[in-house]
Amino acid sequence: MTAGIFRFFGRYLNPARWTGPIFDKELRISSRRKRNYWLRFAYLAAMTCFVVLVWNATVTLTGTSVYQVSRMSQAGVAIVASLVSFQFVIIQMIAVIMLSNAISGEINSRTLGILMTTPINSFQIVMGKLLSKLLQLILLLAISLPLLAVVRVFGGVPWDYVLSSVCITLTAVIFAGTLSMYFSISARPPYAIILKTIFVLGILYIFIPAMAGAILGRYYATRVGLSPAYYTCVFLTNPFIVMWASTTSMVSPAAFRQLPFSISIWPLHCGIMLAASSVVLARAVRVVRRVALAQAVGQVEGGFRQKPAAERKTSVAIKSQTIESEDRIRHVKGSPIVWKELRKPLIQGGRRNGIIGLSIAIGALLITYIVNMRNDLLTWNISHRMYALIFVVMGLVSNIVLSATAITSEKEARCWPILLTTAIDDWKIVAGKAIGMFYRCLPIWLFLAGHVILFVLIGWFHWIAIVQLAVMVVCMVAFITGSGIYFSTYFRRTTSAVVANTALALFLWAVVPSVLGMLQTNRNSDMLSAYITGNPFIQAVVITDATAGRQNAATSLRFLRYEWPEMRRRRQRIGDTTTILFSWLIIYVAGGAGLAWMAKRRLRKKVFYY
Amino acid sequence: MIEIKGLGKNYGSLAALADLDLKIEQGDIFGFIGPNGAGKTTTMRILATLLEPTFGTAAIDGLDVTKHGKKVRRMVGYMPDFMGVYDDLKVFEYLEFFAAAFGIERNRRKAIVEGVLELTDLQSKRAFAVDSLSRGMQQRLGLARVLIHDPKVLILDEPASGLDPRARIEVRELLRELKRMGKTIMISSHILSELEEICDHVGIIEHGHLVFSGTMEQIHQRMGIQNEMQVQVGESQRDKAIELLSALPQITDVKVEGSCIRAVLLDGESYDGLIARTLVSGGVDLIMLKPEEVKLDDAFLKLTRGIVH
Repeated sequence: MTAGIFRFFGRYLNPARWTGPIFDKELRISSRRKRNYWLRFAYLAAMTCFVVLVWNATVTLTGTSVYQVSRMSQAGVAIVASLVSFQFVIIQMIAVIMLSNAISGEINSRTLGILMTTPINSFQIVMGKLLSKLLQLILLLAISLPLLAVVRVFGGVPWDYVLSSVCITLTAVIFAGTLSMYFSISARPPYAIILKTIFVLGILYIFIPAMAGAILGRYYATRVGLSPAYYTCVFLTNPFIVMWASTTSMVSPAAFRQLPFSISIWPLHCGIMLAASSVVLARAVRVVRRVALAQAVGQVEGGFRQKPAAERKTSVAIKSQTIESEDRIRHVKGSPIVWKELRKPLIQGGRRNGIIGLSIAIGALLITYIVNMRNDLLTWNISHRMYALIFVVMGLVSNIVLSATAITSEKEARCWPILLTTAIDDWKIVAGKAIGMFYRCLPIWLFLAGHVILFVLIGWFHWIAIVQLAVMVVCMVAFITGSGIYFSTYFRRTTSAVVANTALALFLWAVVPSVLGMLQTNRNSDMLSAYITGNPFIQAVVITDATAGRQNAATSLRFLRYEWPEMRRRRQRIGDTTTILFSWLIIYVAGGAGLAWMAKRRLRKKVFYY
Repeated sequence: MIEIKGLGKNYGSLAALADLDLKIEQGDIFGFIGPNGAGKTTTMRILATLLEPTFGTAAIDGLDVTKHGKKVRRMVGYMPDFMGVYDDLKVFEYLEFFAAAFGIERNRRKAIVEGVLELTDLQSKRAFAVDSLSRGMQQRLGLARVLIHDPKVLILDEPASGLDPRARIEVRELLRELKRMGKTIMISSHILSELEEICDHVGIIEHGHLVFSGTMEQIHQRMGIQNEMQVQVGESQRDKAIELLSALPQITDVKVEGSCIRAVLLDGESYDGLIARTLVSGGVDLIMLKPEEVKLDDAFLKLTRGIVH
């Protein structure tokens, strides 16, 4: 009997049965990749720097010993809260990136079909991929635990918070990773999968709760008036809210006494996240099997550009009907690179999908306008600040990703050497790619422009905002496009270029201001104040705060006041703000041009390193 | 037309090319043969201005490929050993894109594209998406692309790989047509029999060194072609034939292989007339008399030692 039980558990709970040899293979490969060791080193180094900075900002070595101990306790709480929040976001991002080529990599190298000719089943393929990557992510979490343990010695951090934060982070990571892996079955390039996953997570974690709240009541205005069930639902399904609530309750326990639910229900949230991950996983297992079998019989070939067999057959059939239709052929006009870039659809997936996607986006935007108008929120500048920030974030993400794909996509499609043997000038290639990238991001900037122009016409936005936001967008686009194209020439893989471009943006606009802020909290530093005026998010907030809303829109230009943070004179006039914006315009455009020049110099280097 | 002097290319500590010397005359079809990793593709990439040599020079029509890259690119049509295609482009658009990339005026592009489509027999596919074409059609499109700017020199890296026999014959015919048009063609292939049929000159490269370069006749001489003759006579007359042949001073050795007699000749001459006359006048009924051919495959095997990087 006992032997039977052991045999049963040994058979069904044996990890090897769940993952097959895939798990071993993945770990073997990852252990040989230098970048994984660099990632761990960089992660730990960043965390250590972070701890040192928070320590430096919080702890003072003056005063009585009791005061010093109390400050250390505060430092412990601040460090743990910051580290946990940092880990929560970063590990999810790494999970999305790591799993973005989990299945598409196998499809691309034509090994998925081969796997199906072995006794390995699709469940083992999916679990092997997922668990091997999760193990690496858990390792990242684990290497930070000693740091958290040391900090906990200062006091003020309860163990249950450490436990809950680790569990919440882990389940959020599993869900984000599973979703990314599921999308990777479509065999699209990794950057497209990363974008798609971020977009879906944004819908799940931000758009749906915000829309539900806005439709159900005065969500933005007072945060009261909604049923406790709504808050409980959001709490149980949104890891960002759970983590925020958990951390805030640890830092200031009094803040959550009024909540309609207990924070101690976080295990239920973790269970829901795991259940959601299981659903996605089950779906992934089914789809992987279908795709693998299709590849095994030769219906799906390698390469990111291959479409599923059925779709390809249809498209070939449609294309064959157009043999004699000369009008369907678009002739090259102007620069061939620009022509080719502009020929790409603004939204992937054909004209029909493009129209549907655009209609959904416009519809969703109109719904938010109606809801906010009903609550009289659009006359306030804070609402427009939110809209501007959302558009800026979306535009920035698209800009970062698309500019970094400009040349790596050519390399991955193996078209790059062919293009380089033509007579096109290197500068024209770089410029053509930059123009194409701007064109692909244009819809998002048009949304921002449309929003501002609409409310300028209504009279709830000052017209100067059009100029100032345009300058801000040009700054951002010029710099990020330059850096993206540079990384695109430097790296051979799109994912590496996207990660590098994202890291640069995060470094410039998140890490450096945070570090400067922590180093110089007690005095208004000119360096910090000057630096953060170049941050596009700060610029967007300052511009919309000063120019949006019924009251600001009716204000004369010379009476507009811009509140730049950390400045000696907080409220700046239009002249000063214009000077700041145009100064940054020169800096960013020069920076972008410099990076484009570096990209041009690298254009013909490492042409065949794939 | 193509002149390579002391060309070398190192990838770190690995020497892909070492002191390569090569000369290809205008209007020649030059077959470039070598084992995998011998340096063929590296040489071609250097000529196509995609790689810079570590040392040595390569010139096309007197222009150094490193110093005059832009001018050289206008003269060269390069077809790599893989075919990268742009999705969402149709065949006509694809070719027109490259026509524009080579700076061909807009009003001439249509006629030129139509011309290369006709030459490569792709007219019926002009409105097809490039990524929906079969492998053979894509190879043909690759050839159409390299012809779009009417280059003087064509550098074709394995143009027939992955093609079915019919497509390979078509490619061969196309190359002959291009030779008639006066193009200088440098072509690498693993299908040596094909090169044998179309190439004027052959270069065999191994371990980054050129181990042989010359005409097909020269390769035959070097390998001993026509030094042996195969003779077939009736079974009952074999001994007599051996006796007659052995008596000839121009024949150094006579061997029997199956039903054939193999006569090893003194020098490069075939002596077919002499052998025939001797045997017939000696009363032997001659069934077959032909020179022993050395195939390019044999030459390749003899000249290379299979050393790969």
